[in-house]
Amino acid sequence: MTRKLILLAALVLASTPLASAHRLDEYLQATLLTLHKDQVQASMRLIPGVSISAAVIAAIDTNHDGTLSPEEQRSYAEHVLGDLTLTANGQRLQPTLVSFTFPQPGEMREGTGEIHLDYTVALPKLGPTRALMLEDRHLPQASVYLVNVLAPTDRDLSVTAQKRNSQQSVYELDWTQANLPPAHWWTITNSVGFAGIFRLGMRHIAEGTDHLLFLLALLLPAPLLAQQGRWGAPAAVRPSIVRILKIVTAFTLGHSVTLALAAFGIVHVPGRPIEVLIAVSILVSAIHALRPVFPGREAWIAAFFGLIHGLAFATTLGELGLDRWQRVTGLLAFNLGIETMQMIVVALTLPSLLLLSRTRAYPAFRIPAALFAAFASLGWIIERTSTLTLPVDSIVNAAAHHAAAVAAALFFASLAASARAPHSLLGGAAKRSYL
Amino acid sequence: MTFLTSRTRRTFVMAALLSLAIATAPAQNPTARIVTAANSFLETLTPAQRKVVIFDFNDTKQRARWSNFPTGFIPRSGISLRQMTPRERTAALTLLQTVLSPRGYEKVQQIMDGDEVTKLVEARNGNRPPGGPGGPPNGNGGPPPGASGQPGGAPPPGANPGGSGPPRLSGDMFGKDLYFISFLGTPSTTSPWMIQFGGHHLALNITIAGDQGVLTPTLTGAQPALYTANGKIVRPLGQESDKALALLNALDDTERKQAVLSYQLADLVLGPGQDGVILQPEGLKASAMTGRQRAMLLDVISEWAGIINKSAAEARMAQLKADLDDTWFSWSGPTTGTPGKNITAYYRIQGPHLVIEYAPQTLGGDPALHVHTMYRDPTNDYGAALVKK
Repeated sequence: MTRKLILLAALVLASTPLASAHRLDEYLQATLLTLHKDQVQASMRLIPGVSISAAVIAAIDTNHDGTLSPEEQRSYAEHVLGDLTLTANGQRLQPTLVSFTFPQPGEMREGTGEIHLDYTVALPKLGPTRALMLEDRHLPQASVYLVNVLAPTDRDLSVTAQKRNSQQSVYELDWTQANLPPAHWWTITNSVGFAGIFRLGMRHIAEGTDHLLFLLALLLPAPLLAQQGRWGAPAAVRPSIVRILKIVTAFTLGHSVTLALAAFGIVHVPGRPIEVLIAVSILVSAIHALRPVFPGREAWIAAFFGLIHGLAFATTLGELGLDRWQRVTGLLAFNLGIETMQMIVVALTLPSLLLLSRTRAYPAFRIPAALFAAFASLGWIIERTSTLTLPVDSIVNAAAHHAAAVAAALFFASLAASARAPHSLLGGAAKRSYL
Repeated sequence: MTFLTSRTRRTFVMAALLSLAIATAPAQNPTARIVTAANSFLETLTPAQRKVVIFDFNDTKQRARWSNFPTGFIPRSGISLRQMTPRERTAALTLLQTVLSPRGYEKVQQIMDGDEVTKLVEARNGNRPPGGPGGPPNGNGGPPPGASGQPGGAPPPGANPGGSGPPRLSGDMFGKDLYFISFLGTPSTTSPWMIQFGGHHLALNITIAGDQGVLTPTLTGAQPALYTANGKIVRPLGQESDKALALLNALDDTERKQAVLSYQLADLVLGPGQDGVILQPEGLKASAMTGRQRAMLLDVISEWAGIINKSAAEARMAQLKADLDDTWFSWSGPTTGTPGKNITAYYRIQGPHLVIEYAPQTLGGDPALHVHTMYRDPTNDYGAALVKK
């Protein structure tokens, strides 16, 4: 059939055109595409010009009885689809004929008859970036082509480009699909994975110096006993460790609760007051590190301020724009990241604190550290309640930037100090009385 | 002093009242005037003609029964100017003048006159002489397909299948009186109704709903797109061509790169039958244009939006102006033109409530001499948005 069509088309092209009326020696093939998530619908209008109509009619009316039977119509429609090449992201796809209508042969002879074909192309599982190629090789010598896509009504779909060759016989449609369901449980969305959000949680603590400062300030007096309104002798090692673990766990519980509540939109608190309250929490724990304000109730304080810190974490998670279901896994990943970083910080500082707290040098470390936290928090309070800009962030960040070196220096200093101290953990027999 | 002041004041009040009275004296808003003109026309018709000319407002088939083709190829319903008595014809044209702007009416006249030129050219070329006076009275809402185009006992073109040439052309194919009028619904100042007027290269679909008038979808076209009448050169769609080319020339290189498409457009994308289709826009967005370019774009648009009467056109232009940031201009084909001649390039203007297409036709030799244009509001074809309310 193809050979006959081409032959006829070639004959027709040689016939004489006419001055007036309409489409003559062209076979107009106009395609409108409609994008869906799982398929592309195509509606094709084929309009043979007056002088090509005889060739087209002959190609459809294979038994030459002057009428276009449903079988002949279907056969021609399938033939047209067979002349199309469709690919999505390089994968070859097959069109499925949905419906077809044909005009009377007389209408086609006058150049007014339109053949309508509707077909669909099922899309395979694709990533967020998609490209559909459509090449029409039906009667290329005689045809002119129009290919367009409707503006997608699905908000998740957005057309990024349409490319065509000069005749429009080759057409490429590029689009993106948002909110794709994750291919695996660990790929939370196609732009952020579980590992990515986990790292985000870790970074949030590592770089979120205010959270870190709160925790460290709270841990500073943890190995000590409160005596008559002052910090006195070091507590025994086991109760010290237990107390530190209690503080860290309470802080985790507190911020996990509000992080979850805010992530699911159950509570909604504006960011600015939260930032101020976080600075206040640092100030409170810094004062407590200087003089015992709430001895023995550190865990409760940690839990209470943890609630506030959790609301700030939620802002970061919210910026990812996850949908409801993605938020469950996102929340888990983020919180695990936060806890992991917290554990790393505690693991790095706990030995130093335990060692140093048993030496006379401890106040010389504890008091300046607490004062540093207090001044930083005061700076933040001023910054966050006024329009003033103070160099707090740059100073704190400079310290945080060398966190590893500071932690290492602290550890070696504590080793050196405790080697000479009477109550030292490394100081021989005396230590047993504390264990 | 006081006396003078109060007298002056009284004079002012009197003057104000008087001018108010003058302003409201005709007491007819555009819709009322259109309804009056429509009823005057309908009164000139016989009951039988009236039956043929009025359709149900929701007759979707009749709504879409328009085309760029000559009426011999695609029969229109209603009655043609040719079938009318002089009195009826005058009333029909008065209605058209009332519903359109002066420039819109002139454009329509020039399109119809162009078809008269085609008729004479075809007759001179021996494509059958112009049909005799009267013609076939096809008042029954459309002859069967195939029966058109051969009134004088010409041999049926289907006699030799496979080898039949183009259909014969005759005075029943072209001519300035082969334009049909029809109504959907009855003229009313409150409930919606439609006037359709068209033939070869013309389809006006005017929906009137209360004080609102909608011209979409409307097709204009011209062949020859340039002719001489009374010693004057006429280009029915010349402004559409000139203003768009001026806008293209006003673009800088970067803008032009965005506006000019890399592929050919052989025809209208949203021609007859393609109602309510919203394409993915392409080209240059007007939000990236300068104030002057934006004004030029609006001026191009006004060639279509301004076909309808002043009050409807003003409302429409206000809407399109508000949409301007989200309106796109694209061009395909030669980027140069000859002064006094039409462009041979295709262009499209698309916004949230607008599609304009200008499509030169390669048929018949010079594409500058044959053009089809389309004017749409995909969200409001046939006043769909007004009727919904």
